Amino acid sequence: MAIRIQRVPSENLGGGVAARLIAILLALLVAAVIFSLNGADLGALGAHVLKSTFGSRFGLMDIGLIMTPLILTGLAVMIAMKVGAWNIGAEGQFCAGAFAATAVALFVPGPTVVIVPLMFVAGALGGMVWILIPTLARAYADVSELITTLLLNFVGVLLIYYVATGPWLDPSGMSFAATKRLPYDIPSFWGDVHWGLPIAVLLTVLVAAVLNYTRWGYEVRIAGSNPSAARYAAIPFRRHLIVVMLLSGAIAGLAGMFEAVGTAHRLQGGISNNFGYIGIMVAVLARGSAIGVLAGALLMAVILKSGIALQTQGVNISTVLALTGLILFFTAIGDELSHYRIVRSKPA
Amino acid sequence: MTMNVMLNAEETIASGSPIQPIVRLRGIAKHFPGVVANQDVDFDLLPGEIHALLGENGAGKSTLMNILTGIYRQNEGDVIVDGQLVTFASPLDAIAAGIGMVHQHFKLVKAFTVAENIHLGWNETPRRISRELLEARTAEIAASLNLAVKPAARISDLSTGEQQRVEILRVLSRKARVLILDEPTAVLTPAEAAELFKALRQFAARGNAVIFISHKLDEVLEISDRVTVLRGGRKVTTRPTHECDKRMLARLMVGQEVVLSNMRERRPDAKPVSAEPVLSLRDVSAHDDLGNMSLKRISLDLRAGEILGIAGVAGNGQKELSQVLTGIRPLVSGRLQVCGRDLSARGAEEFAAFGVGHIPEDRLQSGLAPALSITDNAVIREYGKAPLSRGWLYRPSAAAALARSIAEAASVTVPDFAMPVRNLSGGNQQRLVARREMRIASNVLIAAYPCRGLDVGAINAMMRYFTELRDAGVGVLFVSEELDELFKLSDRIAVMFHGEIMGVVDTSDVDIETIGLMMGGQRRSAADLAGEN
Repeated sequence: MAIRIQRVPSENLGGGVAARLIAILLALLVAAVIFSLNGADLGALGAHVLKSTFGSRFGLMDIGLIMTPLILTGLAVMIAMKVGAWNIGAEGQFCAGAFAATAVALFVPGPTVVIVPLMFVAGALGGMVWILIPTLARAYADVSELITTLLLNFVGVLLIYYVATGPWLDPSGMSFAATKRLPYDIPSFWGDVHWGLPIAVLLTVLVAAVLNYTRWGYEVRIAGSNPSAARYAAIPFRRHLIVVMLLSGAIAGLAGMFEAVGTAHRLQGGISNNFGYIGIMVAVLARGSAIGVLAGALLMAVILKSGIALQTQGVNISTVLALTGLILFFTAIGDELSHYRIVRSKPA
Repeated sequence: MTMNVMLNAEETIASGSPIQPIVRLRGIAKHFPGVVANQDVDFDLLPGEIHALLGENGAGKSTLMNILTGIYRQNEGDVIVDGQLVTFASPLDAIAAGIGMVHQHFKLVKAFTVAENIHLGWNETPRRISRELLEARTAEIAASLNLAVKPAARISDLSTGEQQRVEILRVLSRKARVLILDEPTAVLTPAEAAELFKALRQFAARGNAVIFISHKLDEVLEISDRVTVLRGGRKVTTRPTHECDKRMLARLMVGQEVVLSNMRERRPDAKPVSAEPVLSLRDVSAHDDLGNMSLKRISLDLRAGEILGIAGVAGNGQKELSQVLTGIRPLVSGRLQVCGRDLSARGAEEFAAFGVGHIPEDRLQSGLAPALSITDNAVIREYGKAPLSRGWLYRPSAAAALARSIAEAASVTVPDFAMPVRNLSGGNQQRLVARREMRIASNVLIAAYPCRGLDVGAINAMMRYFTELRDAGVGVLFVSEELDELFKLSDRIAVMFHGEIMGVVDTSDVDIETIGLMMGGQRRSAADLAGEN
């Protein structure tokens, strides 16, 4: 009898989930080792983190607020992956959505019941415009959307800095890089937590339902999984690619709109706060499942909130970003390893 | 050492000659899931000889050579080099033992120069060396091996023939004594091929040996000293080349015993062959993916209730033909009719709607979405129809029911329909695709290489499906490169060569040699053959 390691074509669901949990635990373990090497009191830090996340009403509210944009950016990246495209540009689309919604709030007068839906539409359109060029370039010239969406992120982030420090700067002189407080608000349902969160959850469920229970969803899944098979089955790959990528941009734009109008109440430099990039992690952790997006967004929100708590204890915020990187790193290893199983066999 | 001596003694007795082979393969078997790639293959290579390895596509030539070069590990049998039993853990071990291979698709770095490619990944390359020295070393090696190359030229600027010479030089610079060439002339002009042959003869004359893989009979007869023929993964024979002629090699390669089993016989209640064609092509031309004209004014009729075989060496337009016939590839010119309706300018959707099913050449690349579930893949032809869809709604439960019935008809046991389809074996994937396509093929089924890579059981199942369709009055176009399959199944055979039809003949009037000659570019018509008989 000898023990051999054998590759299997695909892992089972239980193995995949277990691999993910182990990955998160290992990332936390590495972080703990580094903290204790730096002389930190792990017990005290841990207690502080728990208290400021799950242990208090404000902690839970913050998690809800952070989760909202993460669900949407995660969903945006996930739906693009369904059609076989990598939308690395949720960050830029987020900025464009925030920008467009702020423009409506600042310059269109009207009753709240009209302006809030209008901001919603503007946010989605902003994100859509931001992904339009990458989409058309991919669909008609086969230009990698990975590069084009990524590059537009820098443009989007700088656009926000420009308007927030220049033309739209708060005239009261109270801030250096933000607009005045926006005159409209997304209604809240629990403390600070606004309706953006349930809408994001609802949108996720809706997207999942559309993908699984409509003809269009079936065609998108086939087209995204294998464009040649789509051609073979007379499914219009290009059309689905364009529609889904625009939808992806719109969802990321909504994230920016909710963040600017509902959470920050103003447009400020750095408002995107890496939500677009973390959305990629959420989508990767979700492995194409909508429920997975919700779980991934929750996990990332808890980590980000913990990071804020740790910052007050003198821990650098970069450490927390490194922790998210570690989780992704271990998850990738775990995913690969879950393709292997150990078998006992007679020596060949 | 005891082992060593024993082998030598045995070899001497077996061959009756004192010459020790450089390489000897004994009882080699290699199995892949569902496929026997090699079984009981014996092969020996003597110093100074050019040994041709002849066989159709899929006969097991490449697998055998991959075993000899350490890319695969055999399931059974021994590899013996210079009388020593060896185990190659990787291609590096094979190179160290003096065995090098030039693949059909070159493995050169296009952006690098010749000198850089020669020295890449070679432990004799000095750690630090200037460009000039690298090129000087290359020129020296090239001169010593009598192979003219330009050391400073970039690979991307070289002709295919020159690139091949660089590949050969790279192998020989590693002190190879055995040079394996996989279809080396496929990419060469006749002049380049002549030059290659000269270089090979010189190399062999120095006491080295060449294994020359090919399915071109002319060049095998021209260049080789001995020929080994493989068929269906097994060795058919090894003979001195001067005892062989073209007809004989063709027969050995495609199979002596063409079993004319009763698959061509119809069931008594079968529908008769129609007088009018169900599918007809007139002067149809089409491009391949690179924009070359790969179908040249093809005219062909397929009648309802018959199986029309398409023979030919792969790459002579069969793939494009099957794509044109299913609406995936646009026509450049000509006319295409299905059941009397002109579909020349129509797409895949209309062909499917007119009852044309399609088993594509490469099922994993175009017929399936490998990462999606078995259910998703099973319903790709019918997801838009009731009961799977109502309006824009799609019903996964109805899809699962259809997937179950298709799997049942295909006799494929599926443990979990949500599992990615790539987890199924090749044979089971193919059965599912075939059954799925049969459901929509009410008029025509286009089957491109449906039996490629399958084991005997799956091949038989596939053939039974086609006879079932034929007896039900469907026209079946069966593309294959296996002549015995074509003879077993087809009522008529059309032979393709360089994008043209060399003739359409009745299977009962023709023999394998004639088809072989047509595959090599000779035109024949049914009338010619009737005249001969």
